[in-house]
Amino acid sequence: MVDDAFRTEGDDWQPVSRKRLTRARRVVLAFVVLPCAALLVAFATLGTPPVIVIVALAALLVVASGWAWVLIGRRVRSFAYTERSDDLLVTSGILFRRLVIVPYGRMQLVDVKAGPIDRWFGIANVQLHTAAATTDAKIPGLEPHDAAVLRDRLAAIGEQRSSGL
Amino acid sequence: MRRHVHPLTPVIQAVTALPAAAFSVVVFVIATGITVSTPIAIALIALFIVIPLLVAGYGFLAWQRLWFWFDEDGDFRVDSGVITRNQRRVQLSRLQTVDLVQPLIPRIFGFAVVVVEVAGVSDSRVQLRYLKKQDASDLRSEVIARAAGVQPEAGEAPEEPISRVPAGRLAIALALRSSTVGLLSLTALILVVSVLREGWASAALAIVTGALPIALVIGEFVTYYGFTITSSPDGLRMRYGLLQTQKRTVPPGRVQAVDIVEPLLWRRMGWVRVRVNIAGVGGESGQQQETLITPVSPRSEALQIIHRVFPQWDPDAVHWQVAPRRARWRAPVQWSVLAAGWSSTMFATQRGRITRHLSLIPHSRTQSVRVQQGPWQRWLTLATVSVDSTPGPVRIAALNQSVDEALQLATEQARRAGLERFHGPAARWIADAP
Repeated sequence: MVDDAFRTEGDDWQPVSRKRLTRARRVVLAFVVLPCAALLVAFATLGTPPVIVIVALAALLVVASGWAWVLIGRRVRSFAYTERSDDLLVTSGILFRRLVIVPYGRMQLVDVKAGPIDRWFGIANVQLHTAAATTDAKIPGLEPHDAAVLRDRLAAIGEQRSSGL
Repeated sequence: MRRHVHPLTPVIQAVTALPAAAFSVVVFVIATGITVSTPIAIALIALFIVIPLLVAGYGFLAWQRLWFWFDEDGDFRVDSGVITRNQRRVQLSRLQTVDLVQPLIPRIFGFAVVVVEVAGVSDSRVQLRYLKKQDASDLRSEVIARAAGVQPEAGEAPEEPISRVPAGRLAIALALRSSTVGLLSLTALILVVSVLREGWASAALAIVTGALPIALVIGEFVTYYGFTITSSPDGLRMRYGLLQTQKRTVPPGRVQAVDIVEPLLWRRMGWVRVRVNIAGVGGESGQQQETLITPVSPRSEALQIIHRVFPQWDPDAVHWQVAPRRARWRAPVQWSVLAAGWSSTMFATQRGRITRHLSLIPHSRTQSVRVQQGPWQRWLTLATVSVDSTPGPVRIAALNQSVDEALQLATEQARRAGLERFHGPAARWIADAP
């Protein structure tokens, strides 16, 4: 299910890379689900709590993981951006939805950032900055090549249209 | 010509350090509870002498290494730093404000600090301390004259008074601010409850809720005492302060957004406070002071000042769009005043029932536009449109508009922002004036 209420009609909305979804799910798997499962196994082998408690906790873990699986999918799919003739639009969020519109002439700089985990999964994040600190237009999870191309294209249009402060 | 700040600067810095040194000695004696015998007293006095001497010594090294001058390109250059050398080139075409600040102790000795603010990354300001009052004033005039593109020897531009805030009005207005009145009423309520129930524990709370607003009122009164606004070819000038005085010059076209604030109890008197966003001023967390163009003025006077800042502002040309009735389920108090408006040059929002805010931003200053919607707003099909300005006290938000109108408003505002380039005064606003 894609939450598209904030996506303007008639524009070519680009989703973020599927790798971003893989990254988000694997990070949760590696840092939350697996440690919890390991803890459960340890408890079970030690045999301290009653079996019913272990089973209940395991069921809870499965349900929570399934829920997180779906939620992460919706969250990642909620990110989208579109380049129009005069401005760039970015939407995000499921519970708190947002749409950010940045006119090309107001862009001060465009950042491409990728942390160690991002690089492991082969993605990069593009962030637009204007003279306002509150702008917060971030496109997380593009293919590094796409991110670099987008950055160069935005920077070129920005320079061409720049209208000062 | 390369210049130093005044050679007595290290001495002033040492004197400024004296109260802190005295305070730390007193705290040390009280905290450790030692009996002050002769050797200890000698040690403390020595400490009291050594701290200012160290400050003065470091101040002397800093003074030796601090040079400022105007280079052949007309930019303002400052070299400084004892341990880390810092060479700064201030592009005067990006000048935002020039301040002449006189903190209490330097003021007693007739010294001042010149603060030059340019738009840019954080920490873009240049502070020159200390200069003799007259030298500081001349330097300020020279910086502004060069930035405006006229002869640096032009001297102080003539100024025309616009308004002055009398001390009585300032005191009454500060006492009647919504936050002050709210906290003081809360204090009274707590005291009444404590007396009735004889639960004196809660009276301690009353000391906090009572002292806080009084401290705030006194603080603001001292800061904004004698607030005077004048207009000159340099732009708007403001001077204020009882103990520390500040003279600020804002060249034309530097104001990014304006917020007209009207607390409930000021409305009878027709008073308003006007806050502004100026790029580079008051944005960082380190400097929490609001940037004001008047702390309290009659509405007509305030509108006159705003007219100088934004000559294109015309309240009658604005098309208003009010929030729908269902917004009362999200904002039960202020729903009826929520509105967004736009004319061909400006965007405006109104919010706040108790303290009313009318916020204005020219399309040419719109940095970006955001639409936001929380779960409760989503259920009511409402959304909030924010128009982003440079960091500062002014926040422009059209709260709880109906979602379709909000999306349309945002798209149109972004389009207007993209179309409208900045046509205001040029960077060198006098030399390049049409």
